[in-house]
This record gives sequence, structure tokens and C-alpha cells, in this order.
Amino acid sequence: MLPRIDELRREAETALAACRDRTSLDELKVRYLARKGAVAALFEQLKSVPDADKPAAGKALNDLRRTLQELAARKEAELGGAGASTPVLDLTLPGRQTPRGGIHPLTRTLQEIVRIFTRMGFAVADGPEIEDDWHNFGALNFPPDHPARDMQDTFFIADDVLLRTHTSPVQIRVMENSRPPIRAIMPGKVYRNEAVSARSLVMFHQVEGLVVDRNVTFADLKGTLVGFIREFYGSGLKYKFRPTFFPFTEPSADIYITCFICGGKGCRMCKQGGWLEILGCGMVDPNVFRSVGYDPEKVTGYAFGMGIERIAGLKYGIDDLRLLYENDVRFLDQF
Amino acid sequence: MRILHSWLEDYGKVPIPPEELGERLGMLGLETEHVERLGERYRGFVVGKVLEVARHPRADRLSVTRVDVGGETLQIVCGAPNVAAGQLVPVGTAGAVVPRSGHDPDGAPFTLTRTAIRGVESHGMICSEAELDLGKDADGIMVLQGTPKPGTPLAEVLGLDDTAYDLEITPNRPDWMSHIGVAREIAVLTGRHPRLPRVRLRESRTPAARVLRVAVQDRKNCNRFAARVVRGVRMGPSPEWMQNRLRNAGLRPRNAVVDVTNYVMLECGHPLHAFDLALLRGGRIVVRAARGGTVFTTLDGKQRPLPEGAVMVCDAEREVSIAGVMGGANSEISDTTTDVVLESAHWNPGSIRRTARALGLSTDASQRFERGADPGMVRWALDRAAALVAEFCGGELLKGAVDVVAARPKPASVAVRPSRVNGLLATALTTAEMRRMLGLLGIRAAGGGKDRLVCRIPSHRVDLQREVDLIEEVARVYGYDRIGETAGAQVTFSHPYESPSDLPRVREAMVGLGCREAVTNSMVEPARAALPGVEPVSVLNPQNRELSALRTSLVPGLLEVAARNINHGSPDLRIFEVGRVFRRDSPGRANPIQGYREEERLSALLTGFTSPRQWGVERRRFDLFDLKGLLEGLAARIGLDKTSAFSYSPMRGLSGATLAVDFLGASIGQLGSVSDETLKSFGIDQPVFVFDVNLAALAVRKEIAYRPLPRYPAVSRDVAFVLDASTPASAVEAAIRKWGGELLRSVDLFDLYEGERLPPGKKSLAFALTLRADDRTLTEAEIEAEVGRVVRGVEGETGGVLRGG
Repeated sequence: MLPRIDELRREAETALAACRDRTSLDELKVRYLARKGAVAALFEQLKSVPDADKPAAGKALNDLRRTLQELAARKEAELGGAGASTPVLDLTLPGRQTPRGGIHPLTRTLQEIVRIFTRMGFAVADGPEIEDDWHNFGALNFPPDHPARDMQDTFFIADDVLLRTHTSPVQIRVMENSRPPIRAIMPGKVYRNEAVSARSLVMFHQVEGLVVDRNVTFADLKGTLVGFIREFYGSGLKYKFRPTFFPFTEPSADIYITCFICGGKGCRMCKQGGWLEILGCGMVDPNVFRSVGYDPEKVTGYAFGMGIERIAGLKYGIDDLRLLYENDVRFLDQF
Repeated sequence: MRILHSWLEDYGKVPIPPEELGERLGMLGLETEHVERLGERYRGFVVGKVLEVARHPRADRLSVTRVDVGGETLQIVCGAPNVAAGQLVPVGTAGAVVPRSGHDPDGAPFTLTRTAIRGVESHGMICSEAELDLGKDADGIMVLQGTPKPGTPLAEVLGLDDTAYDLEITPNRPDWMSHIGVAREIAVLTGRHPRLPRVRLRESRTPAARVLRVAVQDRKNCNRFAARVVRGVRMGPSPEWMQNRLRNAGLRPRNAVVDVTNYVMLECGHPLHAFDLALLRGGRIVVRAARGGTVFTTLDGKQRPLPEGAVMVCDAEREVSIAGVMGGANSEISDTTTDVVLESAHWNPGSIRRTARALGLSTDASQRFERGADPGMVRWALDRAAALVAEFCGGELLKGAVDVVAARPKPASVAVRPSRVNGLLATALTTAEMRRMLGLLGIRAAGGGKDRLVCRIPSHRVDLQREVDLIEEVARVYGYDRIGETAGAQVTFSHPYESPSDLPRVREAMVGLGCREAVTNSMVEPARAALPGVEPVSVLNPQNRELSALRTSLVPGLLEVAARNINHGSPDLRIFEVGRVFRRDSPGRANPIQGYREEERLSALLTGFTSPRQWGVERRRFDLFDLKGLLEGLAARIGLDKTSAFSYSPMRGLSGATLAVDFLGASIGQLGSVSDETLKSFGIDQPVFVFDVNLAALAVRKEIAYRPLPRYPAVSRDVAFVLDASTPASAVEAAIRKWGGELLRSVDLFDLYEGERLPPGKKSLAFALTLRADDRTLTEAEIEAEVGRVVRGVEGETGGVLRGG
């Protein structure tokens, strides 16, 4: 048996070495390696070899087959795509696309904000979008007939029912339903009856925050919000806290950061001022605590709020906020 | 609010450059939106004296002039017909920007250069009113009045050598709505308190009370009503300096009397009104509530129905002014007025606000009164105005004021605990430091025992009523930026709040399934909110009809998104939205919002091709079963088993092909193709498939319990049945499951055939059955027995026949 294997090896190696084109290569493969080829025939004869010789013969035959297969494969590669009989894989064809999903840029911004605050130990709370006057205004220290109500043009549903103009009523609901300590953020949609423009929408999103505990100070408010700003916008930014007025906080502040578009030199986004207003905040007004039955002598707290559209607009450089609600896939695909 | 720098300096020097002042006031909470140097646009324009005018050698309509611009004489070619030697004219020199071009159709500004006009050099331009944007006259050059010296900056001649601050006034600080108010705030920066000018009155012997009587009937809403009378005035314009100031502050000058009332208001913040005494019938003023149904003509000429309860100033017979809002046309000051009544009153802020709101009228006066005017300013403002009217118009200022005081304001004092100040602000200020800071605001704080400061509040600070109000004042003066930052604060974990749904996970799952998230407006057109059996919520005061209802379903919003994208060349879409829908419910008694329901929902929309055009893939369009798969895929991704979770039943809904979706036995929504009619109303002409489900119902959090992997192999057997075409696939699958024993692990329909190889009215369904035992490898005989039982069962129940079997 072994001599015949050697013989076949020499013959086949010579033939493969001499082969110059695909057609003859294919013929050689059929002659030696096909199911009814010469190697297969020797395997067939293996049955009649004495048992003692079988392992050696079998091993030699397997070696032969492997060698010839490798030689044939090498030859095939050497001859390349010249032949027409075997299809050749064009590796430059483009990959196939899988469906591409994506989260809306507003959701993306919201989730990032929520993530930062939840890491700081804030729980997430929610409340109705159709609110009553008490939760949206009264409990938040907006007296009836007070001009502060003009700051927020309201859509009314009934006499004392309205679309919430801010997420602050959720503060009241959280306090009504739990006792201090409280540490929560409240994201959601809000509605204002204002003319729609590139910078102002009738519906938008806010994130509200509330912390109530014993001995909460203005420094705690600053520390927490500066921590958020550094995390969200980067630690190199400058910021300032400026006094302002909200009925439900006192002292109240607006937080500004250096415009990250122009680096503070003044541009369109920051109205040439070099500063961007990003957050309103303040110490919870004692009247707000009283309206939910908390004793302002025992607890203090701070609250803050920010508009998501504005933040997303700044973050992604979207100069017309209406784009956020058109849902054009050419826009959505960019996020 | 527009404040002028020069005016602020009437009350004391302001030694801070304008931009810095704006910034520093901002850090006190008085936001400066804009600092404007008024003369800026006239930089490079000066007064010129025309010395000589000669014909242009090559153009009939042009003149060559020589103009003295102070120390220099310029040759200027001029096209105006009215130019003449000796005139004083505005001259733009090289580099100046002419505000409005007379040649450009849009009047775009242009920069002057030295140039030659038809061969004659011209070194500037003599301008018309129109070119300077000072008036409409474009027919000739502007000739300046008076005797300004050549070379004087034009801005100075026009009274524009000033700086204006546009301030954003927060509603709690009405005192900032005046120059003296802003000057008082500047005192925090300079330490120097401003002084109101002294008023010198030259009164006659006749008491005002002899010609005017005042009765206040509505004492609840009128705290004080004071009036003075000036008789025999000569009406005319106010002096130029006053007109300039009013104009620069944004008000139009009218006549001396009206200008004085406006000027005093801008000066001290107290609104005044002037009547023509001759038009006040009976020489009487009565303050009373409006009678319902009365129509009143205000001095802007508009007829206004008076809101019930509005406070009115009346004469003996009729209304003459809407108190604190706007005067009436029937008693207005005119060119022929000789006797003037000046009114200075103090009104209840809430009443003024209600009236102004009801009238939809917001005036300089109402804005100040509704926020809270300074009750201590009533007499000063009246006296100041009377003195100025007498100064400008002559006449006889009658002795004294008719002054009815209904409620005298109590001097306010507020006790502050220094420990509370430091406790809330995390500061370590001494009592003396606090007193000094409050003192800068004109608040006198005196020690009143241990840990107690008693603060006397000046009358203009109507916002300071509580301890916390004064804590804020200390914080402002101290500077928010000087207060420390407590890193991390103390972390106190509070109870987690029950979120209505597992939103992030659902969104991520949908994105993972290849869908794009959309966010659409909750406010929709009423027609789009109409759903059978659902009463939508409407907005009482919508911006327009298109946004007057709250959505009852997310589907219309997604259809709009689809229509928009199809129109913009993106017809293949997988989109979803998560959001609330609203409807009316039976009104509750407990609270006002019980009559409204909000529900968090998830909707998805598929349309167009399932994949983009690409090689090696046969494209096909989405159909209903992609949508079903999407919903079930979502369930699988959030850890739910579709077969046990979902069931469907045909229903009337979006179109003929609609399924009601039940989840764990409860109805949660529907799924189907959108009817042609609906598609047409959205302008869509390709099939669209949507589902809409209640998200809260889907958000069952299932704890995951691991099951060991099978130790013995599973085998798969394919069986196909020829069935009547009307037999539902779900019935066949149910029969398979029924007849399969515990060895049957899954049933998957993998082929549907209807065609020529089967008799008409028949179809073939092929299922892959997976069989496995937990404790052994199944033998061929066991498999045969299992499959045989299933086949017989299915044949018996559905009348089908095993195909090719």
C-alpha cells in the first residue's frame, strides 16, 4: 500500500506543479481529490489492507490528501481570479446595513441630566401635565392677581385647571406625599402660551429639582449645581450665580456659564454677552413649605429648574428649536 | 425699562463706566440686557456751516459747497436744491456711516469716503432728515435750528450724547421702574445715597379745594387720592432737554403738561395723570367702582367696555379715567386747555391688575401700580409735577393739594435673626456687617435684643415683608459668588418615587429594534383628537385652532411625522413615540383635575421598505406581521414571553385589518394597517402600519429566574397541513399545542403556501415542532408517537390533512 501512496504523491505533485491554468487545475482536482478520484480509490482499498498495517497506511493516506488539498489550494490562489469557472469573492463590496434606530436628541439630553442627578442620590418623580391652579401657582407662592403670573403665559383647560407652565408643581406633589428628607428631580413636558419662534415653543421639557432637609444652605445649592455643571458641560467652564426673582424661592439665582460656543468672546448664541443662562434656582420660599404643611423653621431646602430644549439646542448647536419637533429623519439621524 | 446715564447723574455722580455698571447691576439682580451709546450711530457727523455755494461745472443739479466743520473747511458736492450759504447743516465726514441710503431701495446704511463726483472732489456729505433716520423729509438737506458751533458733534445737538440701559425688571421690584430707583441700587456699589431734587412751589393764595372737590367712595381700592390745580396755563411743547430725555427713554413727547407727568413718572416711579379742569363737570372728582355694562373711551381713542368692579375716577356725572390704567378722551389735556388738574393717587395693586387684565391693556401706569407703587411718593410726585407745569406753562398754582387719605401706610419693620441669615446662606457675617449691607439699601437695622435685628423698610421697598426677604438682600449685597460651595452636600437617600413606567428600558428596546424616536406636540387640531368613545380635552385659550385640543392618541402625531418624511424623500420609516394622551373623565369632587385622565402610551409606525436598496438582499415592504413582530420583539427585550403575554382579536379600528391587543388578559391597545381614508387626510399614499399600546400595562417588571440549560438534545420535526384557506393559523397552532405532550417545547410556523399545487380554497401551513425531554435522549419511536398524536389531533380538530405525509 505505502509504495502506491508514494507513487501517487509523486505523480500528483508533479502534475500540480506543472499546472498553468484553472481548467487543468480543476481537472487535476477531479482526478486526484474528487469523491471518485485516485485518493478516494486508495481509501477504498484500505479495507483490504491487513489490520496490522492499517494505522500506518491510513495515516499516510490522510497526509497525502491533506498535502494535495493544500497544494491545490495554493495553486488556486496563485492562479487568482483569472479563471472563469469558480466565482471569486469581491471583498470590496459594501457591508449590508442593519436598521438604524435612535433616541431623540431631547430624550438623550434629558437622560444625561437625569443620570448625573441620580448618581448624586436624587430620586426621579413625576406628576400630571394637566394641573390645578393651586399646584401650579398658589402653593408656589404666586398670589392671585400678581404680576408674577405674567412671567408664565398659561393655557387654561377650565377655570382652575391648566396645562402646567413648569415642572415646579411636581415639587408640591412630592412634598405633599412624603416627609423630608427629600432629594428628587422631576422631568417632564410643560406648556406656555407664547408665540412660536426659533427660540420659543408652546410645549417644551423641563427638569426640576428639589432638596429638603434640616440645615440645607445656599452653599449646598451652589455645590450641587456646580457639580452638575462641571459634569455636564466640562470642568473648565466659568460660571456665575446672579440674583433674580422666582415666587417660589428666596434668595433666587440664575446660573450663567461662559459661552462654550465662542469661549466668552461674544457670539450669536450668547447674544454677544459671552454668558449663557442655563439654570434657575433658589432656596425654597417659606410660604411654599407652609402650603404643604412643612415647618420652615425646621427644614430648609433648595429647588432648581432648567429647560431641556435650550440645553439641547446649546449642546448640539441647533439654532432653530422647532427642528426638535419636526422629527425629520435627516435631522434625527444626526444624533 | 430704559434708563439714561445722564439722568441717573441728576441724583449724584455715577463713577462707573457704563458697561461695567451694567454688569455690576446684573450681579445685584438688575439685569441689563443692553447698554446703548445713543450717539454712536452719528459718530463722524458734525455741525457744519455752509460758507459758499457754487454751480458744479459739469452737472446742472449739483452744487459745490465749502463747509466749515470747525477748524477745517471741506469741499462737498451737494445735490439738494435747498442748500444755501449761511446754513447750519449736519455733515457726515469720511468714515461716518449714513444710517439710511436714499438710493438703496431698502435704505441700507453706507460708509462715506472721500470721492470725486463728476470730476469734482467731495470730502463729505450734507444729509437730509431721511438719510439720518430722523424723519421722513428726503427732499432737501436738514437745516439745524439754533446756533450750534460748527464742529459740534451732531449727537450733542440732537441730545443724543447719552448712554441708555435697557433693564429687565423682575416683577418683585417695581421700585426699579424709575431713575431714582436704579440710582438707589447703584448706591450699593458707590456707598452714596441719591437725593431727589428739592421742589420749590410758588402757590397762589386761592386754595385748590375751592375749585376742586374729591370724594373717595371705593376706599378699599383707593388708598389715597391727591390733586393739585394749575390755572391759566399756556399750552405748548416742553423744553427741548425734557423732550430729548423722554425720547431717549422711549416715550414720545406730546405737550408740556403730559410730558411733565411722564417725566416725573420716569424720575420717581409714581404714575400721574392730568385732567383739563374745564372738562370735569361739577368741579368734582369721585372715585368709585365701574358700573357693569359701561363703555368708556380711553385717550387712545378706543372704546372699552368697563369690567365690573374696575376703579374709576369720575366727575360729577361720568367716568373720566380708568384709575391707574389710562385716562379718558373726555377730559384729556389739549392745546386749548387752560386749567390743569394733576392727579397723584395710590391704588390697590390687585385691583389695577384685574382691571388691566380684563381690558387687555398694559400701560406704563398699570405696570407700576400693579407691582406696587411707593406709597411714600404720592405727594412728592404731585408737587414736583405741579412745580414743573407752573415753570413751563406759567399760570397760577393753587394753594395746597386736595388730598384724601383712605388708608395711611404703616411704616414697615421686619425682625431678622442674624443666626438665620448665616444658617441659610452658610456665611459667618457679623451683625455689624449685616447692618452695614442693609444700610447701603437704605434699610436701617437696629439691634433689638439677642440674635435680633429690627429693620425699618423704606416705603419704596414694597417687596420686603419677611425675614427671608431681608436674607436675600444681605445675600445680594454680599454677593452670591462669595458664598461658598459645599461639595456634594450631604447625601441623604430619600424614598424612591414610583415612576409610572419603565420608560428608559422601553425606549432603549425600541431603538434596539431599529426604530427612531419621535417627539411630537401634545396639542393638536380637534379633528385629530376625535376618537370614538373618547371625550378630548380642549384648551380654552389656544394660540390657534390647530393647537386647541390635547391628543387622545399618539397615532396622528406619528402619521404627521410619516407624511412629512415621505414628502422629504424618506419613505421608509420605523418610528415610535412614548408620551401621554389625555381625555376627559367623569369630574371628581375631590380636586379639579380628577375630571381628566392622562395615560402614558407607546406607539410605533412602519411604512415603506424593510431595508434600504442594497446588493444581495431582496427588498420587501413592511406588512402587518412586521408590526406584530415588533411588538412581540419589544416584549421579549423587556423580559416578557410573547406567547404567554399577548393575544390578539380582530376588531373594528384603524382599518379592516385591525387587531385588538390583549396583554396578560387585559386590553392594552390595538395594532393594524391605517385606513386609506385616514392616510388620505394626512396626504400619505403608501400603506402604513401602526400599533398603539398602554405603556404602564407593559411595564411589568419581571424578576429574572435562571433555568438550567437542557442536558439532552432536542429534535425538530417539520409537519405541514393542507387546510381550508379560512382556517386561522392560530387555531392550528393551538391544536398542536393542545395535542402535544410535555415533550413539545416549541411550535414555529415557518411556511404558508397557497397556489397551483393545491386545490382551490386550500392552503398549506408548515410548522417546526421541537421536542425534548429533560432526562433522556428521545428515541425515534417516542418522537414518532408524539408527532403522530399531534398530527391526528390537528387533523381531527381542523379538518386538515398532513401534507405529503
